[in-house]
Amino acid sequence: MGDVKCAFIVQRPQYKGETSRLAMTHALAYQTVEILLEDGETVTPTLCFVGEGVLGLSKGQKAMEMYGITSSESHIKNCLLVDLDVFVCKEDLEKFGIPESTLPDAEDMGAEKQIRVVPFAEIQKAMEEAKHVLFF
Amino acid sequence: MNLGIFVSDYKLCVDTLDRIKADKLGIILVLNGVYHAVLKEDGKVSELLSKTPNLYALSEDLATRGFSPDQVDSRVKVVDYSGLVDVIFNDFEKVAWI
Repeated sequence: MGDVKCAFIVQRPQYKGETSRLAMTHALAYQTVEILLEDGETVTPTLCFVGEGVLGLSKGQKAMEMYGITSSESHIKNCLLVDLDVFVCKEDLEKFGIPESTLPDAEDMGAEKQIRVVPFAEIQKAMEEAKHVLFF
Repeated sequence: MNLGIFVSDYKLCVDTLDRIKADKLGIILVLNGVYHAVLKEDGKVSELLSKTPNLYALSEDLATRGFSPDQVDSRVKVVDYSGLVDVIFNDFEKVAWI
């Protein structure tokens, strides 16, 4: 089977519904899936934020303090910690006036991976390369 | 009628607001509606903010999304849950959610 690429595309803002959060937890679950695979088989997820999906990615979210729920920021940091590719659409960040400097990283957790702000064309490429494309 | 309207999405709902007639109209930004108070899409603030001078945003929902009150448009009054209850009971006869 080799490597199976999956693209998780988040197109809705976080928090009001569970949909966009599920993309992150599903993408994170690839680590669990690998336990069930044969030698030589891998799953490579890519988590992409486009459109209004780029909302809710800011640093300093206080979802746990306010509502007792895990923040999107925390989920993204966990994604980076397990070396998941996280792409954020450059054009959509610019459209909403969100500076790249407000995006979180997981350096404090020891992660080397960082969010990559990329043109939509690169997200399109990730979708084309993926065997499974899932929209959230 | 004094009407307070809750807006909980970022999508524009200006068409609906334009049709509503109220002696005093209030817009209360909650959940993802708080993005209207902080974002400048294509460099422009949300049209919603020009619909009434009575604008409120819930501080808990701003903080959840990583925003502080100083990032909020100066026309919007930031209120916490307690303040929101006061707004609902003291300023508006009716409230609606769009």
